Amino acid sequence: MKKQVAIILCFMIAVFLSCSNSGKQKLFIYNWTYYMPDDVLRDFEKRFNVEIVYDVYPSNEDMFAKLKSGASGYDIVVPSQDYVSIMIKENMLSPLDISKIPNFKNIDTAVLARITFDKGNKFSVPYMMGGSGIAVNKTRVAKYEKSWNIFNRADLKNRMTMLDDMREVLGAALRSLGYSVNSTNPQELDKAKQVVLGWKANLCKFDAEAFAKGFAAGEFWVVQGYAENVMREYDSTKTSEIEFFIPKEGGTAYIDNLVVLKDAKHKDLAYSFINYIHDPKVYAKIIDYLRYPCINVEAKKFTTKKSNYELSDIANSELKNDIGESLELYNKIWQEIRVGR
Amino acid sequence: MKSSSLKRHRISLFAFCTTIAFFYAPLLVLILFSFNESKTMNWSRFSLRWYADLFMHSRDLWEAFCNSAFIAATSASVSTLLGTLAAIGMYWYNFKFKKYVQVASFLPLIIPEIIIGVSLLIMFGVMGLKLGLFTVFVAHTTFCLPYALLIVSSRLDEFDYAVVEAAYDLGASEIQTLLRVIVPVSMPGIIAAFLVSVTLSLEDFVITFFVAGPGSSTLPLHVYSMIRFGVSPVINALSFVLIVGSVLLAFSTKGLYKYILQK
Amino acid sequence: MRRNYGPAYTFPVAVWITVFFVVPIAVIFLYSFLQKGLYGGVVGHFSLAAYSALANSTLLIVAATTVFQAMAATALTLILAIPAAYYIARSKYKTLFLLLVIIPFWTNFLIRIYAWIAILGNNGFLNEFLIATHIINSPTQFLYNQYAVIVVMVYTYLPFAILPLYSTIEKFDFSLLEAAQDLGATKSQAMVKVLLPAIKSGIITAILFTFIPAFGQYAVPQLVGGRDSFMLGNVIARELTVTRNWPLSSSISVVLTLVTMIGVLVFVKLNGKRETA
Repeated sequence: MKKQVAIILCFMIAVFLSCSNSGKQKLFIYNWTYYMPDDVLRDFEKRFNVEIVYDVYPSNEDMFAKLKSGASGYDIVVPSQDYVSIMIKENMLSPLDISKIPNFKNIDTAVLARITFDKGNKFSVPYMMGGSGIAVNKTRVAKYEKSWNIFNRADLKNRMTMLDDMREVLGAALRSLGYSVNSTNPQELDKAKQVVLGWKANLCKFDAEAFAKGFAAGEFWVVQGYAENVMREYDSTKTSEIEFFIPKEGGTAYIDNLVVLKDAKHKDLAYSFINYIHDPKVYAKIIDYLRYPCINVEAKKFTTKKSNYELSDIANSELKNDIGESLELYNKIWQEIRVGR
Repeated sequence: MKSSSLKRHRISLFAFCTTIAFFYAPLLVLILFSFNESKTMNWSRFSLRWYADLFMHSRDLWEAFCNSAFIAATSASVSTLLGTLAAIGMYWYNFKFKKYVQVASFLPLIIPEIIIGVSLLIMFGVMGLKLGLFTVFVAHTTFCLPYALLIVSSRLDEFDYAVVEAAYDLGASEIQTLLRVIVPVSMPGIIAAFLVSVTLSLEDFVITFFVAGPGSSTLPLHVYSMIRFGVSPVINALSFVLIVGSVLLAFSTKGLYKYILQK
Repeated sequence: MRRNYGPAYTFPVAVWITVFFVVPIAVIFLYSFLQKGLYGGVVGHFSLAAYSALANSTLLIVAATTVFQAMAATALTLILAIPAAYYIARSKYKTLFLLLVIIPFWTNFLIRIYAWIAILGNNGFLNEFLIATHIINSPTQFLYNQYAVIVVMVYTYLPFAILPLYSTIEKFDFSLLEAAQDLGATKSQAMVKVLLPAIKSGIITAILFTFIPAFGQYAVPQLVGGRDSFMLGNVIARELTVTRNWPLSSSISVVLTLVTMIGVLVFVKLNGKRETA
């Protein structure tokens, strides 16, 4: 018994020692798992002779709740657009000196023009831009319209899911009616609610956690979701079986951004990192890994794989911006939808 | 007599077998998929690619696992220890703050985890405590306490006090009585409390998310944050390795081996 | 007379729980009386808005369905846990069986639920088996409804019910059962009238360990629930993270705590309190 405990302790101490203090400077990044490929991070560590500590969170909301409650220690975080504007208002971000990020010039100006949540990029640098859409299993569904109306199809009842996310679902409904995804008009929202209730009757469930796994397993045939999630869960040899599209009415879009926290302790290193990410060869590697549309113009020369969709596909999708107080109204409607009233 | 003893336990045997089947069905499926070439839940063919991934490209996973195991072992030990002592103290004695402790130590069971997580985070901030493994340890011990306390308490219920009195009459001190009479008799309860605490700690996500510091990630944090891009079967491979490891550990010494298989 | 060692034994827990639990929780509960900040947190004004927001019919519907599901899960768990714990307590390989029961739960929860989806799903093993053996013609939807949520909750909490039950059953003097039978009782009468009352504290503990967490559960309905699955745990988590309404999340938790505490006190009193020497 004592021998076992000793062996375990030695093992753990060995592992701990091997991971801790190498004496190098550290950069603390807080992001989603897999959002930055491993080799890109290791190359940065080699180039600048530093160590990256990479922590993860499952959603913007969780990350924000934690930082707002006083957690600190992170240098770079990657919030989505609405959270960037919230974090700016809550004074959580460090203003950026773009002159220290020369590679910023490589970013597509069309993307920069769409940025309303941080005009002039005073606090953030875009990392990835994407949009939610619909994935269809073509072996199960022969003919379909590339529109949100697919969720009205009773013949696909119980084989479809939408995201368990009120902004995504209400946003889709608003778009299908021709309204803005950031609408705060109660009449428009009420109409959207009726649309969603109509869709709900055909849905199996609202799911943000297992829809891609379920889709890949053949549980669901039509899912609202993100391309990166669906594509990566699906068998890479069989991706011709599925189609991911952005509906013709447009949908919701998002931009995830690199920001530096106000209390970050390694600001210079953070600048170096952000600049490194937008180095065309590095960004191309990331795009090849994630298959997102490429927002770095120079990097397009170096990408070798096709993205899941292009920026032109999400031209008709609107960025979900912070809606401030109206969040309560959305929440009320969403809870009523969920409970079925 | 043997056949009737089997018959006697028919219902409980049935319940036990159903429970085991219930517990091991998903486990076997999960292990099966760890050997699946495809990353989906449809079997394509046998492959060790996820194990290769696990042992060659998953340094962060192993770090997270080590953190999880370390925290589980330490917080389960401390909460079982504190819970056992408190259960003993509250079972046989009355004192001024007894009701307070009874209520306060029961509360972590009731209050939603996310509230516990956020409140601890705020308090650590106010105390100036830097987030890290220690804060995770504190949080885990705190939420395991009611479990440990209640399990040991229910074990003490109807404890034959005459045995303890006999010990005192024979001149034993409090500590001797504790270690040689009370603890051995309560051992199944203490073990149950420890096992429950380890399980709770290994699995916790919500509270750990809020109180973990940079670099002190645990396994559940990693896995839940993988959802956006797909939870890879590497986790299945890791789980299988852990189970094999736990079993090997449990049977590694003759002493443990005999204790587990004791009659 | 011997010294009162009670305080000495209980002191560590008292200190720990006060510093690391009572104080932080008191702060958060205080938040329920404050005004919410636009982006989370609280503003320093007194406000009862968080409590008046509770008089919301949607919330009450959610609470009612949650209570029902938690009760169903608890009942089913007990039905399985009591005989299973009994078997383990009477078997020759107690510790082995205990480990057997607990080790599967040291693997990650999410992938175990994914495995359930692979088994019970529309495209899962069970459906494939039933179709292959011609018992049914097209897949039955076992998952994505209230019943799946209850069954998976039973799966989640069963070990936490078995362990305390085992702990109390193990010290029971089984010869009492034989004595009862010798006196003319049938086996089931002996079980119900002799065993069950003796393990009452274990049963109560098992109920507490199942019902209360089930009440606050949010992951299981999200994963295997259907389009109408929406439980109180989801509401509390959403209010804190998505809607960033900390006072409301807090007030729901305060009410939840009070109701549960009262419920537990009543329940324990009705079932007879433990005696102290």
